[in-house]
Amino acid sequence: MSVRAIRTTTVAGACAAALLAVFVAWSGSAQEPDRSRSSSGVAGMPDFSGTWERYTPPRDPNAPASRAAPGAGGGLGPTFGGAPPPLKAELVAAYEADLKLRQDAERRGEPIPSVNAQCIPEGMPGMMIALFPMEVLQTRGQLTIVQESFSQIRRIYIGENPPAIEDAEPTFFGHSGAKWEGDTLVVETVGIKENVRYRNAPHSAAMRIVERMRMLNPDRFENQITVVDPEFLTGPWSWTWTYQRKPGYKMYEYVCEDNREFVDPDTGAQRMRFRNEAN
Amino acid sequence: MPKLFRAARGMTMRKTANQCVHALVVVLTFGVVHGAHAHHSFAMFDNENQIKLQGKVTSFQWTNPHVYIELDAASVYSEDKTVKSWTVECANPGILNRIGWKFNMIKAGDEVTIIVAPLRSGEPGALLKQVTLPDGRVFANGGPAGPALIQ
Repeated sequence: MSVRAIRTTTVAGACAAALLAVFVAWSGSAQEPDRSRSSSGVAGMPDFSGTWERYTPPRDPNAPASRAAPGAGGGLGPTFGGAPPPLKAELVAAYEADLKLRQDAERRGEPIPSVNAQCIPEGMPGMMIALFPMEVLQTRGQLTIVQESFSQIRRIYIGENPPAIEDAEPTFFGHSGAKWEGDTLVVETVGIKENVRYRNAPHSAAMRIVERMRMLNPDRFENQITVVDPEFLTGPWSWTWTYQRKPGYKMYEYVCEDNREFVDPDTGAQRMRFRNEAN
Repeated sequence: MPKLFRAARGMTMRKTANQCVHALVVVLTFGVVHGAHAHHSFAMFDNENQIKLQGKVTSFQWTNPHVYIELDAASVYSEDKTVKSWTVECANPGILNRIGWKFNMIKAGDEVTIIVAPLRSGEPGALLKQVTLPDGRVFANGGPAGPALIQ
C-alpha cells in the first residue's frame, strides 16, 4: 500500500469517526428530559406541552401515507402550506400582479423585503409555521404558544369563545378561544391586523382562523388550519402543519437588536446596511 | 461559471479531507435545521459565484436577527489581493447554537478563512457559507443559507 493510500485511508477513517461522533451527540441529546412537558393539563385530555419543531415528511414518493406522517408520499411538506388563497375574482388580478412583482424582483437579485426582513413578526397564522422551534405550555384553561423567532407569543383560552368580530381589536396574534371536540382542540381566532398577511394574501376584518390540533402520537401533533373570510375568499383556505417533539430543547431568546436589512427608499429593494453607515 | 472545488484538485488525501468536510457540513447543516426557510430572501447575494476570503476579524457581533463577522480580508483565489473591510452576514444565534457555534468562538484579531456569497451590488458585503477558525475547525452557516459550493 502506498503512503498516499495509507494517508487517504487514515483521513477516511477520521472522517467516519467524526460523522459517528455527530450522530452519537444527537442521540445523546434526544434522551435528555423534556423539562417543559406540563403536568398541569386537564386530566384525561391530550397535553400539547413541550418544545416542538416543524415536522417535514420524508422525501420518499413510495412511502405509504400514515396517520403519523400524513404528508408522506407527497414529497416534502409544503413550507407555506397548500394551495394559494381562493380569493374572490375581483381580488385575483391585484394579488397576482403583486406576486409577479415579488418574483421578478427576486430574479433580479433585488428582493422586496418580507415583514421578517424588517424585524416584524409573522403574526397569525404565519407564526404557526414554526420557522424556529416553538414551546407549548398547556395549563388549566389556557394554551400558550411561544415561537422562538421574534419571541412571538399567543394565548389560547380554552373553554371561551373568541370575541365578536366588531369587538376584536386588530392585533398580530389575534384573540383565540378554544373547545375540545373529543381529542381535538378546536381553536378559533379573530382580530388580525390588516397588514399581517400570510403569503401576502389580503384579508378582511371578518377573517376567522380555525385550527384543529390533535396529537398523532406522543411525539407529534398536527394542526389543520382553515382560514374563512366571507368578504375576501370564495371558500375555506386549508392546509396542515405537523410538529415533532424536540426533547430537552431550551428556547433561545430572540430580540431583533440590529437589523441591517433595510428597504432602499429609491428602489424598494432589500439591501444590507454596513456598520457605521447611517440608515 | 462557479469556481467549483478549485482547491480540491490536489492530492487524493486532500480530496478525501475535503469530501469529509463536505459530509460533515451537509450532515450538520441539513440534519439539524432541515427544511427551515430563511427569514428573508437571499436573492441579493450571488450564490453562484462564491468567493474565498482570508483576513483578520475586526468584530464578531452575536445578535438577532443576524450574527455578523466584520473582517479586513483579501480574496484567496483572485489575483487582486486588495484588503477590504467586509461585512459578512451569518444566520442567527439560535440557528448557529443548534449547529455547534458558540457566542465567543470568534474574536477580534482572529485570522479566519471564509467562503461567502458576495452581494450582487459589488459592495463588500456577503452571506457566509463556511468559516474556518484559527484552530482549523470548520463551521457552516445553517440550512437556510445553503452550503459552500467551493473549497
